[in-house]
This record gives sequence, structure tokens and C-alpha cells, in this order.
Amino acid sequence: MKNSLFLHFLTLLLFKQKSKHIGAVLISVIIIFLLSTVLFISSSLQHSILCTLKKQADFTVSRIEAGKAVNTPAEWVEKIMEINGVSKVAPRVYGRYFFAPRGNAFLVVGIDFFDEQNNQEMQLLLKNLNLKTFLSQDSMLVGEGVKNFLKAHYFTDDFTFKTPKGSFKKVKIAKVLPKQSNLIANDMIILPIDVAREIFGIGEDEVTDITFNVPNDAEWDNIITKLHLMFYDVRVIEKREVKKAYENLYNYKGGLFLILYLVTIVTFILILYQRYSMVYSTERKEIGILRAIGWSIRDILKLKFYENLTIVMVSFILGVVLAYGYVFILNAPLLSQIFLGNANLSNSVTFVPVVKFGLLGSIFFFYAVPFLAAVLIPAWKIAVTPPKEAML
Amino acid sequence: MILVGAVLAHYLSYDEAVSQNILQKISSVTELSSPSLSVAYYEPRILFYDKAYNPAYPQMLPLNRMDFIYEK
Repeated sequence: MKNSLFLHFLTLLLFKQKSKHIGAVLISVIIIFLLSTVLFISSSLQHSILCTLKKQADFTVSRIEAGKAVNTPAEWVEKIMEINGVSKVAPRVYGRYFFAPRGNAFLVVGIDFFDEQNNQEMQLLLKNLNLKTFLSQDSMLVGEGVKNFLKAHYFTDDFTFKTPKGSFKKVKIAKVLPKQSNLIANDMIILPIDVAREIFGIGEDEVTDITFNVPNDAEWDNIITKLHLMFYDVRVIEKREVKKAYENLYNYKGGLFLILYLVTIVTFILILYQRYSMVYSTERKEIGILRAIGWSIRDILKLKFYENLTIVMVSFILGVVLAYGYVFILNAPLLSQIFLGNANLSNSVTFVPVVKFGLLGSIFFFYAVPFLAAVLIPAWKIAVTPPKEAML
Repeated sequence: MILVGAVLAHYLSYDEAVSQNILQKISSVTELSSPSLSVAYYEPRILFYDKAYNPAYPQMLPLNRMDFIYEK
């Protein structure tokens, strides 16, 4: 059989029976769209978060009391500095500020604006920020989510914090952090470290925790041992543990959807198999006629294979393209909330396009093989019966 | 074909460096890299550092073995 004739016949068949194929294409597109969407969101978030982790310190040390993390003595900073092989020891002051009237919370982070590196990073981040003006009065930088929340509650220029001592602290809103930072800074308030201490009632001799680097990887375990010998009430968190936690967070959510996908695809394939194995007179007649005019079983299977491969390809490309547009162009409205939560401030994140071609290949494989099998097996069953019987 | 072309053009022209750079600067300044999950106040915001409390009774802090050991 000449290939051009075969292709012509295949095209005619596809167009003639398009109403029959539209249903299968539609369901396939929906399934592939949903799965690709979830995988795109999880891989994009994972990629962005792991990139930010590169700038993080190797270790975080905090004091524990009765199994709970409590404020860490500031004098530990100097003690840790004395350990050989340790660099860039920095205290952190941060915590969540609960806004009782609406039940929302902000992440308040105190930083040292006089630190040269922080100063430079801030100037690069917010080009119009005048640090002299910023530090001349109590000012803060807020994430976009915080800005929208405060604006909705008529705090347009400043916000008044209630301190644990019962006094009030008015802080001016100096700038809003860029929208691209929403992934980590949507609910964040950055202010000078002294103001943060005052808001949380943390004394001068205390910090929330301490971070430091150990440039030589081979020394990591040794440093942990030294810390445990130095302080008995200490908890040391390594960057590699945090990295695993981030990976698991989105793997878990992606995995959950993968299970749902498997359930859906199995149901779909079962419906498809049942539909094709049912005694459809037109289907049987068509195969019977082709057999009667001299088509071999192989030719019939080839025809059915290419016919359904076209459906699979069209569905797959449409599903993936629509998912890409939904996630990376429209920024996944509604579905992003499953990954980012919706219990506090609303967050709109810009997703960085991350397409793992290996993953897409696997989706195609897991979708195409059962689909083709569900169609080809019943077609083969009809093709092997004598044409006279098949057309009955 | 138009859709595929548009997607390819978006993918190839997207400048990832800008947003990554901003995220890294924030992370470097604050020393925090945890995603800004919109979670209730009793749920952990800083992943791995915070402990999850009981969502049914958010005010009730978890009791564990260490609480009894260190109880004064």
C-alpha cells in the first residue's frame, strides 16, 4: 500500500469522524492540562526557592528551652566566631506580628542597615531608597501583600505596632518591595534591627537566632559537634536539611496530584476501552469492509494506530500549551493558592518558566501507551474475526 | 501552531535572571529564604524552623516529653 494513499485515507477518516474524536480529545486535553499545570507550578516554585537558598547561611543556631526555640543570647555570636573554620556569623531578629483585629500576621524582620553588605544590597534592590531619610525616622519596607492589606485598612503612610510592654510604635511605610520578591517577601516587613527588637520586646542581649557559614564542607560535622559541646541547650539547623524540606514540600503536593492523575487516567482509559470494545456496528462494519477489500490485520492496526496517535499528539500539545499559558502567562489564578495557601494575606506570585522536558516525556508516555492500548486491543479483536462475521 | 509559537517565544524570551536576582537579594539581606506561604498564625511560616501547633486548638501549645523534663 502506497504511503500517500494511506495518509490520504487516514486524513479523510479523521475529518469524517471528527465528532467521534472530539470527546476523547476534550477529556484528554483537560487531564493533561491539569497535570501539566500542577507540575509546572511545583517545579517553578521549587526552582525559585532553591535559587534563593544559595544565598543562605550554612547553619542556623537557636537556643531551645523545654523543647521549644526561644531567644538566643547575643553573646553566643562571639563564642561561635571563636570556632576555627567559621565565617560570616550574623544574628537574626525576626518574628510574626499578629494583627488581632483581622486575625492576620506579618513576618517582621529586623536587619542592620549600617552593615556594608546589607546597605549595598538594599541600594541595588530599591534604587530610589534614600537611606539617610529612611534611618532618620522609624521606617519600614513592606511586601506587596502587606501594602495591600494595610491600604485596605487605611494605613496608607504608616502603621502603629503594639509592643509587648503595652506601648505603641508608629513606623512609616517607606517603600514597597518589588513584586518579583512576592514569593518570599509578600507578608514581610523589613525594618531596622532596633525597631524590630522594640516591637517584639527582645532585649539588647538577645537575638532570635544566629546564622553562620562553614566554607569547608568537610568541617561541617565537626563544627556541629563543637557547638553541642559548647552549648547544651542548642539546636543546629543545617542548610542541607532545609533544602530537603523545601524539596519535599512541593514534591508532596505534586505527588498528591500525581495520585489523583493516576486515578483519573485509569478511569478514562477504562471508559475508552469499554467504548471501543462495545459492539459498535459502524466500527465493526468499517473494519469488516477493509478486511473484505484486502486489507491485512497489520494494515488495519496501522490505520488505527496512526488515527489515535494523531488524537494523542493533538491532545498532548494542546494540554501542555494551555497549561504553560495558564501558569507562566496568567500566573495560575486559583490553583496557585493550593501551593501558596490562602489563610493569611493574599499572594500573587510571578512564576518563572521552568519546563522539565524529561517530565513532559514521562507524562506523554504514561498517557499515550494506555490510550493506544485501550483502542488497539479491541480493534485487533475485531480485525482477527472473519470479515463476514465482523459485518453482522 | 500559533499557540505553540507564542509559548516558545515566551519561554525563550523570558528573562529569569531579573526575578531570581531580586529574590536572592531579599534572601541575602534578611537571611530568610522560606516561601511566603499564606498560612494562619498558628501554622509554621518559616519552614523547618517553626513547629506546627494544633489547628483545632491553636492557643494550646504542643506538649511533648521535653516539656515535662524541663518543667520547674
